Amino acid sequence: MKDSVAVRGPAHARSHDEASGRAWSSGRVAGGLVLAAWATVFWFLLLTGRDDLYLSTRTSWVVPVGAVLLTAAAGGRIASARVRSPEPIRSREAWVMGSMVVPVVLVLALPPATLGSFSASKRPGFSSAGFATSLGDAGSGPLTLVDVAAAQYSKEGEQALARRAGEQVDLVGIVTRYADTPAGEFLLTRYIVTCCVADATTAQVRVVNVPPGKFQANDWVEVRGPIYPLGKQVIVNATSVEEVARPASPYLTQ
Amino acid sequence: MADIVAPRTARNATVRTAILIVAVLAVAAVAIRILEPGRIAWIQAFFIVFGSLLVQAMPFVLLGALASAAIEVFVPVDALERLAGLPRPLQLPAAALAGVAFPICECGSVPIARRLAVRGLTPSAAVTFMLAAPVLNPVVIASTFVAYRGRSALWTMVAGRFALGMLVAIAVGWVLGNRSKDELLRPRPDDARAVPLEVEPPEARWRRFFLHTGNDFLFMGRYLLLGAAAAAMVQTFLPASFVSNVAGTLVLDIVVMMGLATVLSLCSESDAFVAASFVQFGPAAQLAFLVSGPMIDLKLGALYAGTFRRGFLPMLVATVFATTLVGAMWAMVAGG
Repeated sequence: MKDSVAVRGPAHARSHDEASGRAWSSGRVAGGLVLAAWATVFWFLLLTGRDDLYLSTRTSWVVPVGAVLLTAAAGGRIASARVRSPEPIRSREAWVMGSMVVPVVLVLALPPATLGSFSASKRPGFSSAGFATSLGDAGSGPLTLVDVAAAQYSKEGEQALARRAGEQVDLVGIVTRYADTPAGEFLLTRYIVTCCVADATTAQVRVVNVPPGKFQANDWVEVRGPIYPLGKQVIVNATSVEEVARPASPYLTQ
Repeated sequence: MADIVAPRTARNATVRTAILIVAVLAVAAVAIRILEPGRIAWIQAFFIVFGSLLVQAMPFVLLGALASAAIEVFVPVDALERLAGLPRPLQLPAAALAGVAFPICECGSVPIARRLAVRGLTPSAAVTFMLAAPVLNPVVIASTFVAYRGRSALWTMVAGRFALGMLVAIAVGWVLGNRSKDELLRPRPDDARAVPLEVEPPEARWRRFFLHTGNDFLFMGRYLLLGAAAAAMVQTFLPASFVSNVAGTLVLDIVVMMGLATVLSLCSESDAFVAASFVQFGPAAQLAFLVSGPMIDLKLGALYAGTFRRGFLPMLVATVFATTLVGAMWAMVAGG
């Protein structure tokens, strides 16, 4: 029972507790607070719309469900924290519980951010041979970055895209440069997320005819111009490149 | 007199510790706002991947904890003991097929399996269920179908994932044999308190339900943090293209893809889309990625280390990798 403690409530509650023989269990209260801290994260993500920074639109349902369940679990834990024999909480256990709140602090305190150009070379390229809509769209309708990227991974897609050489596109993404990227070019990158950012894959096109030095890595830009598929590589000859605000949904979803 | 002084001293120590922890967290929050560590590209990438793994996984861990608590509080012991009385050749396939009914990811299945074993289900059957559920559940099979739709290997991947996933889960259960729960599980203090000592009817059930839910969540959550941190670190620095050189190399490409699935630590409901993106690898290597990934990865490794005794993890890794390797190769030969 070392380091154990029964924390008493206010006077009127204390008299009731003493009558019923119950007291607050510090271990259960601490656990309830950890659950409440995590519930706060999910409510925060839900209310600020920042769930888009971590999850895809198809899995964003996890956030309200997590918020409600964690709140219920925290409430239930604290409501059942008055016990006849208060459970001990050791110093080590308290620190472990404290460490479980560190990610909560990170999510709440960090400014909103998305994966940037640093991660582009670490991620696999997007492949969606099974995503029929994209293949269909590569043959007709306005071309999106997902259509272009998907088409690069199958012969049918490449052929469909090749037939549209010279057509105008309007694409939004982040500026990515590698060491060997010429000054008048960059790779326009967008991440495609299925469940969460951990499974992000990249969709990229090479943008040429860019004013040298005007755009920095990680800038969000809107690129307009004709598209020229050259086998596995797709080039956009930019007629206009404008810096834009980060989209509300920065990650694309299949 | 000594009886009164001791609790007071302990209370003071606890209050001091609590104040110190809150102060450390507050200083961390202020430091993050001032220093903006996200300005450094790799730190930002790490925080985003770490945060996304946790935001995705924590609700599933809680769902697993809720299911685990429900088993503890509402399922009669004799119901699980009756299942444990089934002949072993039936138990393991039945446990694997039970996973079809649980659309829950791998993080959630660990606390459920642990609780099933504690409550009397044969430990090998509980582990078989734990490994099978994240591979066989309908959401995972549907996502595999969508990811491979339009490819010639569609049915090889969908049917192969289901069949090989079930086979591997059963194989691990078979290797575990008749090990008891005491030989398999790391003891936890709340196991000894499974019988409520402090609560009284009529509150007993709901109080116990929330107690067990919280205990399981807090226990699994701490290991998930470690595993997610390790996975995020690997994802931050390891380029996915590093495996490209071995693509097409017989056997080695399968082994490398299983290793990649381990370090990437993807959710089983999304891993098919990532596997499908490795077009330079053949269907056998991709199938191995899809079968072994939901059973062994960095975040799961941390959860297993907290749940099972020391010998479990090496046995699991050896059995899963060996069975998956042979199974994936056979599936490709049989599938032409």
